[in-house]
Amino acid sequence: MNNIRKIGLKYCGGCTPQYDRVQAVVSIKRRLAGRIEFVSYEDRDVEGVLVVVGCPTACVDIKPFEGFPVWVITSERDIGSFVEKILQME
Amino acid sequence: MALMNAKQYEESLRKLNFNVWMFGKRVENVVDNPIIRPSMNAVAATYEFAHYPEYEDLMTATSHITGKKVNRFCHIHQSTEDLVKKSKMGRLLGSLTGCCFQRCVGMDAMNALSMTTYDIDQKYETGYNKRFLKYLEYVQENDLTCDGAMTDPKGDRGLAPHQQPDPDMFMHVVEEREDGIVVRGAKCHQTGAVNSHEIIIMPTISMREEDKDYAISFAIPADSEGITYIMGRQSCDTRKLEKGTMDRGNQIYGGHEALVVFDDVFVPWDRIFMYKEWEFAGQLVEQFASYHRQSYACKAGVGDVLIGAAQTVAEYNGAQKASHVKDKIIEMNHLNETLFCGSIACAAEGHKEPSGTYYVNTLLANVCKQNVTRFPYEIARLAQDIAGGLMVTLPSEEDFRSPEVGKWIEKYYKGNAKFPTEYRMRILRLIENITLGTAAVGYLTESMHGAGSPQAQRIMISRQVNMNAKKKCAKKLSGIPEDE
Repeated sequence: MNNIRKIGLKYCGGCTPQYDRVQAVVSIKRRLAGRIEFVSYEDRDVEGVLVVVGCPTACVDIKPFEGFPVWVITSERDIGSFVEKILQME
Repeated sequence: MALMNAKQYEESLRKLNFNVWMFGKRVENVVDNPIIRPSMNAVAATYEFAHYPEYEDLMTATSHITGKKVNRFCHIHQSTEDLVKKSKMGRLLGSLTGCCFQRCVGMDAMNALSMTTYDIDQKYETGYNKRFLKYLEYVQENDLTCDGAMTDPKGDRGLAPHQQPDPDMFMHVVEEREDGIVVRGAKCHQTGAVNSHEIIIMPTISMREEDKDYAISFAIPADSEGITYIMGRQSCDTRKLEKGTMDRGNQIYGGHEALVVFDDVFVPWDRIFMYKEWEFAGQLVEQFASYHRQSYACKAGVGDVLIGAAQTVAEYNGAQKASHVKDKIIEMNHLNETLFCGSIACAAEGHKEPSGTYYVNTLLANVCKQNVTRFPYEIARLAQDIAGGLMVTLPSEEDFRSPEVGKWIEKYYKGNAKFPTEYRMRILRLIENITLGTAAVGYLTESMHGAGSPQAQRIMISRQVNMNAKKKCAKKLSGIPEDE
């Protein structure tokens, strides 16, 4: 259990999302079960922050996450590459 | 308690002692009244969704006073990004509730007051801005809903406030005391009035010196002594008293408006933000109106619901592949996104005022609202076109549940066999609700007249476009000397 990575999770506000952002995170949790744990993005004890935005505008301010690795998902297509990156970190 | 949730908000309302009237009787339990309750649910949603991680980025902001996280409805815009997020929040909430969620008027009133109080101070050293910021901190710390109340009855539109045969046609001062003032008058069409903790009064038009007793702005608890609320009717409102819920269309949310009467209401000095500075009345009206014209991004959110309903009923009818239906859906989307464009544009082109508050581009805000006075009507017409006449001839839910005749409705009102008849009835009721039922108050007529009737925007547009620059462009390209 000690190897589970803590990843901060931050969503955009979701005004006109082009896909189901919450479902995307459910899918990531399933694919990375036992490898990562999503926690609040305000938690400073994280290995990085996953920013899940509903469209390419990506209006979330990521300045507060400076100093951490930040992964941004703008569509369902990005889910796979995020999962790959986490797996490569092992 | 910087961020209440829905339950806490509901409990906070129960502590208020409103004097509310409906159908000739006083409403003893406002929160649980079946006609009012859906509107309370919609305001409660603005509290609840602030706690959802997937909406928080729009629903919350950082207070420039305390640095704490606050509900965006209590926030003073500190950047164009804040303004854009306000527009986006409106669309989000419109799409989540399918109705007016009522809380934007207070936000717009507070942002306008943050600027006007500052500007009055610059001229008269009144200290209003400091007083207002203290009030704002109280609102933020307690996560309050404020009713921004502007529209006076106005009586004879051809007469100024001081010329009215009945002086109460505009809210005015009737007594000045050592500890405050006493006011009399009324505010009409007050959206979400009985779901509000506070009521913020603003003048309704520009004023001259003779009207200075009418140039007042203040905030008081919404259940203050002397305030009476008379609920406005909505088309199909008593369906909320019926046995089933299907015929309501929207199962959860709604809106309300009320006539709010101030019968000699006391206002302490520390809650007064404008007092007879008549030359600033017009500025406050214009600033509030411009913010509120931006706020109509919410109609794009309700439009999302209506377009979704139109597409769904087309599928239930088995007509979704017809080219004219597809084209109508495209037109609905085009109009709806155009509404959103105006709200986003006036926010993105906003600027910083001397007070530090960010203010929308007023020309674009008026263009935004002018579109809102028209496009929802066309979107609603197309939705009714796609829905078909059944939307208005459908029997009641009680008939549908009847052991005797329900089977005939089930049989003869089935469309595409893949979908239950009940689903078809439900989505038709939702379209009915938005286009001619209780929600049409917000989606249609309020789109027409809310934040100023169409002509008000046209006057502002004519004032604010740079016509000389346009003429210069044309003359240059056609070889006419600039000064001819």
